[in-house]
Amino acid sequence: MREKGKTNWVLTIVLILGTFTVFFPLYMAIIIAFKQPSEMTNDVAGALAFPATWSLDNFRQAMEVTDFWHSLGNSLLITITTIVLAIIIHSLAGYVIGRGMAGKKSFRFIYLYIVSGMFVPFSILMMPLVKQTAQMGLGNRFGVILLYLVFYMPMNVLLYTGYMKNIPMALEEAASIDGVSTWKTFWKIIFPMMKPMHATVAILTALGTWNDVMTPLVIMSGTGQNTLPLAQLNFQTQFGTNYNLAFASYILALIPILVFYIICQKQILNGVANGAVKG
Amino acid sequence: MSKRKIQKGISVAIGIVMALTSLTGCTQSSESGKVEVELVSYKPEAVDVFEEIAERFNATHEDIHLTIDSPNEAMTILKTRFIREDYPDIVGIGGDINYSNFLDAELFMDISDLEETGMVKQSYLDIDKELEFIPQEGVYALPYVANAAGMLYNKEMFEEHGWEIPETWDEFLTLCEEINASGIQPLYFGYKDTWTCLAPWNALAVGLTDSDTCNQVNMGNTTFTAAYGEVAEKMKVLLDYAEPNPYAYGYNDACTAFAREQTAMYPIGSYAIPQIKSVNPTMKIDSFTFPANEKEEDNVLNSGIDLQFCVMKNCKNKEAAYEVLRFLYEDETIQYYLDNQGGVACKEGDFDIPTELEGMRAYIEGDRMADYQDHHYPSEMSVDAMIQTFLLDDSETAVQTFLERFDTDWKRYNRDLIQKVQQYQQEVGNVQ
Amino acid sequence: MKKKMTNREKTFWAVIIPVLILFFTFNTLPMIKGFIYSFTNYRGYGTYDYVGLRNYIDLFADARVGKSYLFTFKYALAGTVLVNALSLILALGLNSQIRLKSALRGIYFVPNILGGLVIGYIFSFIFTYILPAVGNVFHIGFLQNSILASEKYAWIGVLIVGVWQAVAMNTIIYISGLQTVPEDVYEASMMDGASKWKEFWKITLPLVMPFVTINLVLSTKNFLMVFDQIMSLTKGGPAQSTESISYLIYRNGMDGGQFGFQSANAVLFFFVIVTISIIQMTIMNKKEEQL
Repeated sequence: MREKGKTNWVLTIVLILGTFTVFFPLYMAIIIAFKQPSEMTNDVAGALAFPATWSLDNFRQAMEVTDFWHSLGNSLLITITTIVLAIIIHSLAGYVIGRGMAGKKSFRFIYLYIVSGMFVPFSILMMPLVKQTAQMGLGNRFGVILLYLVFYMPMNVLLYTGYMKNIPMALEEAASIDGVSTWKTFWKIIFPMMKPMHATVAILTALGTWNDVMTPLVIMSGTGQNTLPLAQLNFQTQFGTNYNLAFASYILALIPILVFYIICQKQILNGVANGAVKG
Repeated sequence: MSKRKIQKGISVAIGIVMALTSLTGCTQSSESGKVEVELVSYKPEAVDVFEEIAERFNATHEDIHLTIDSPNEAMTILKTRFIREDYPDIVGIGGDINYSNFLDAELFMDISDLEETGMVKQSYLDIDKELEFIPQEGVYALPYVANAAGMLYNKEMFEEHGWEIPETWDEFLTLCEEINASGIQPLYFGYKDTWTCLAPWNALAVGLTDSDTCNQVNMGNTTFTAAYGEVAEKMKVLLDYAEPNPYAYGYNDACTAFAREQTAMYPIGSYAIPQIKSVNPTMKIDSFTFPANEKEEDNVLNSGIDLQFCVMKNCKNKEAAYEVLRFLYEDETIQYYLDNQGGVACKEGDFDIPTELEGMRAYIEGDRMADYQDHHYPSEMSVDAMIQTFLLDDSETAVQTFLERFDTDWKRYNRDLIQKVQQYQQEVGNVQ
Repeated sequence: MKKKMTNREKTFWAVIIPVLILFFTFNTLPMIKGFIYSFTNYRGYGTYDYVGLRNYIDLFADARVGKSYLFTFKYALAGTVLVNALSLILALGLNSQIRLKSALRGIYFVPNILGGLVIGYIFSFIFTYILPAVGNVFHIGFLQNSILASEKYAWIGVLIVGVWQAVAMNTIIYISGLQTVPEDVYEASMMDGASKWKEFWKITLPLVMPFVTINLVLSTKNFLMVFDQIMSLTKGGPAQSTESISYLIYRNGMDGGQFGFQSANAVLFFFVIVTISIIQMTIMNKKEEQL
């Protein structure tokens, strides 16, 4: 943001040292992903030691067990569709509620109604939803996407309405004087200005959907389609877990979302030209 | 709006919905002329075995097509399918509280007219009988494979030190002392994973209490305070011979410790052997029945039904389902399953016993077996966590507190059931 | 409505009504069904009977439920405070003049995407083997035993992991909040010669106040609904000291046969969190206006 100042080296170093809290567990996960089950031990030195060989065999096997490309395809389809629809629908709802709330009690009520949906424990919704989606013919990927759109609506509406507080009314008023419709004003002026929030919403929604096991498990089981987290259940049975293959698979699954996050971060940063918001 | 417009609108809407639902590409093509039979097994680890069995079946049967599903989280999937009223034809589940509940919910069919039910070892038919909340007429499950739990031990270590297999509780304690004296840890627990507390608990309880204790409590004939006192005390004694602070280590830690020869014995079921062998593939493991009593002849092997098949009440083609069960119950099919998955056959006959269960052979062949007590505990009562709480309790009154809680909690979690059982008793009493 | 609606209002309603229908169908409707089940002894399948208010009466008599509320509140309070403090500091740091900015942001995000199995295995190992080893070498008494095995301190172990994972998400929100603070505001304050500390309290914080509200509400909710960390680290143990409300609802309602009773628990829990959140939002809105 502040392009002009000098690099704050002290802060840089502190932040780099802080990454130890991330790298240490990550290091453990990575070496386990390379080890064989017979290399697993209970002593600290053994657990931190390098694997006997750096073979990618575990990764290959993990991809085979999870039918990787197929499951990845499903996970990508569900996550990306959810994100695109969430950005369109939730930003629109957030805008309307945010602006409507300023003058009207009814919108204040709608806001509280939707946001309070965040606090409903999934367990209570699950069984009725299973029945309902089956009856509506939604026991499939489309149903899962639809449910995600509803599950993340409270959080995203909260985020977008919060963001609206920092977007001044002046721009819309000017547009309205020029005779531009509200609908057009939103898409032409407001929607682009929400760019950092779109990126934030995208990443938070992606986080929730990418690793989710429960919703696809109960909604689309039996359709023959697997998401990555569902396929990863293959590594665990009641009385045994193949940690090595599982960890290899988890690390593979982590890469797409990490890349996506880094892209989104750039959007959050580049989104707002300096001072454009509260001008 | 004119009528036609409305109709048009509706048909468009239906079209959209259908287009969306067809997104799944879920096409259920039943091959023409063949009867489809769907079996859902709750053992994902046996997926390859069942695929092979289904293939063999389909190769020899022209008019029936069998599909065997072995999904992960099968119990969750089964329950959600029941909610959707989308029933498979046959389910392969364990002989545990889920079976009791499903049976109580009237989901299963009476299969007593299947001749294979007459080939099952009596102990396993008895075990299934005891799993019925309310005594039922008929047979509702075909027991397939059982597992056994007691004490696993490191065979080479025992031979090297010349330790003998104990047959009574006293001999067992002496053995533990002896192992301790040679600088080796006698026992190892994975009590961080609370369910592992149930392994020694069950193994002790089968020897020290009646197998129908829970039913007796429901009928008001006894209390757990009366039935479980000795079990609880002996659970405490075992702690003296285990690693310090066993609540820090999980099931996986304990398996690894046993595989890495950090302990001589490990009180767990035969189901743990694959996990242990994954860490130490060449390890020689054997097992013995938990010597819970002062006399050898009072000991009972803890064995339960690991897999059994039930036909759903809604099954449309009973004869086809029976044909599948007959095929599954052929000696050859059973032996193929055992060779790949281990375990003990529930069918009478001459089947191989896995080398790791060699030490239990006498009990298996002599039919001296009883079911896991926890197969009668409702899972929401979390008896495993209660046992862990009890073991962590250092006070003098720990046993008493625990047993009193067991009795009060039991009544609370089984309220509807107890009412049902006692009502049934009255009805039966009135008839007589 | 007597007054004629403006075009703007019409657009608003045209947008919000379909959204409300969608939300009602897949959130409120199943919740109402769950609410109805809370008056039954439904197991999740099979037949059931209506039992009136029995489940609700039982809730208040059930020591295990009471304990789970106490644990959850303690956990949520500590978690919310820690996460918001840490992630605000981290966001400020990651948003200032530093090198390797993108890489650092990426790294601090990783904890949030690791699956439960990985978290469970790695942190159990750290708490069970590595920290006690460190404790033995440096003679630090409280580290010498696994804290996950201690009835008193296990919740702190769960808390550490919970905070470690949650910081990423709240940092993202704070970072996007900091983007809305225009540059010239800082320039003005630099001319005034205000110290960094003062600049933060007088300028930055008031401007990101809406984001503090969002983060407080979201993190309170997430910590109150703690489930994943419990599942992967302690499964409610040792001695049932870390059973959270969500864990009980899931474990006994879904896996066990207490669907009806746990639905009642979920209804009660829902009203508790909504109340807490509304109080939070009201207080924060007042703060936003003051600043």
